[in-house]
Amino acid sequence: MLISGLLVGLALGFVMQRGRFCVTGAFRDVWVTRNTRWLTAFLVVVAVQSVGVFALDAAGIITLQAEAFPWLATIVGGFIFGFAIVLAGGCATGTYYRAGEGLVGSWLALISYALFAAVMKTGPLAGFNTAMRSVTVEQSNFYSVLGISPWLLVAVLVAAVALAVRHHLAKPKFTMAALPASKTGLAHLLFEKPWNAFATAVVIGLIATAAWPLSWATGREDGLGITTPSSKLVSYLVTGDAELVDWGVYLVIGILLGSFIAAKGSGEFRVRVPDAATAVKSLGGGALMGIGAALAGGCTIGNAMVQTAQFTFQGWTALIFMILGTGVAAKLTIMNRRPAPASARVPAGV
Amino acid sequence: MAQVTLETNGSVCPFPLVEAKQAMTTLTNGDELVIHFDCTQATDAIPRWAAESGYPVTDFSKRGPAEWSITVQKA
Repeated sequence: MLISGLLVGLALGFVMQRGRFCVTGAFRDVWVTRNTRWLTAFLVVVAVQSVGVFALDAAGIITLQAEAFPWLATIVGGFIFGFAIVLAGGCATGTYYRAGEGLVGSWLALISYALFAAVMKTGPLAGFNTAMRSVTVEQSNFYSVLGISPWLLVAVLVAAVALAVRHHLAKPKFTMAALPASKTGLAHLLFEKPWNAFATAVVIGLIATAAWPLSWATGREDGLGITTPSSKLVSYLVTGDAELVDWGVYLVIGILLGSFIAAKGSGEFRVRVPDAATAVKSLGGGALMGIGAALAGGCTIGNAMVQTAQFTFQGWTALIFMILGTGVAAKLTIMNRRPAPASARVPAGV
Repeated sequence: MAQVTLETNGSVCPFPLVEAKQAMTTLTNGDELVIHFDCTQATDAIPRWAAESGYPVTDFSKRGPAEWSITVQKA
C-alpha cells in the first residue's frame, strides 16, 4: 500500500502550508526575535509523536531498534543543515511545501538538496559520508543509558511541552488583524481561516504518528523521512529502477502536491521568481542542506522531529546543532544586514 | 501624518518583517507604513508583530493570488 505514503504526504503538505508551519522560522526566531512560540509548537509535534511511537512499539505494531550513535557526523551535519536552511529559506520539508506554493527559489533549493542528498548517499561522496558516520559510540538513546522506562521520558517531555504551551497561551490576549473572509463553513476552515500554531502542531504530530504503521506495513521500517526519499527519487529519475520508489518517495511527492492543493485552494499559489542573489543562496543552501542531512542521518523532520520522539542521542544532538547552525546563519545574513531606507523599491535581498 | 509604502514583493520571509521593523523606526507617531508582501508566512508574522507592538492595523487585504497589503500605523 505505497499509496498511503502519498496520502500522508498530501495531508502533511496541506497542513504545513495552511498552518504556516516553518521549522526554519521556529529555530530562527529563537535568535532573531528571542521568541520561542514556534519552537514550542515544533516540540508539541515531538511530544505527540513520542506518545504515539512508544504506544505503537508497546502494542507490537512497530519495533524500535537501537543503533550506534554516529556522534561526529551528527554534530557536523546538524550544524551544516541548520546553517543551510536559513540560506535556502526553509528546511527540507519547508522547501517542498514552498515549492508547492510556486516559489521558484524553493524549486532551485529542492533540486539542489535532493541532488546533493543522492551525491552523499549513493554518489561520489558516499565514501566520505560512510567514513564520517562510522565514528560512533555504542550508546544510542537516553532511556537505555539511564536504565529507565522510555515512558518516564515521554512523561517529562509531555509535561515540559505542556508548560511551555501554557506559557505562550497565557500571554495577554491581543487582537490580530485578520483578512476579510470570503468563504464560509468547511471551505473557510480549510482554505481561509488562519490556523493556530499549536493546533497545527497537534495535527502534524498525529500525521507523523500515523506515518509509522503505514510505512511499516510496506516494509519501510521508519516514520516520516525526507532526505533518503529525496535521494531515492533522484536515483529513480536517472536510473529508472522502480525498486527505489518506496513509501517515502510517495510521501515527499505527496507533500509537494498537498501544499499545492492548499495554496491553490486558498489563492496563495503564484509562480514567484527570486532575484539573482536569492537564487544563488537557494542553490547553495539546498546543496548544503543535502550534505548536512545525509551526514546527520536526517533533516529537521527525520532527526529533529522523528528521532527526538524516540529519545535517541542522534535526534537530540542534531536538533541542538541545527538550532546553533541556524543561529550563526541568522547572525550573518539577517541580524547584520545594513538597514535599507524605506522606499517603494524592491530590495536586492542581500 | 505621512504614508510610506514598503515594497517587499519577491523577498522571502523573514525579510518582509525585518524590513518593516527597520522602516518603522524612521517614521513618527501617526505615520502609516503600507507593506506589500508575497511571502505566505508573513500573513501571520506581520499582523502578529503589529498586535504585539501595539500598532493599529488600518488595512489588511489580499491584492491577488499570493499577494497582500497591510497598513500599520505607528503609535
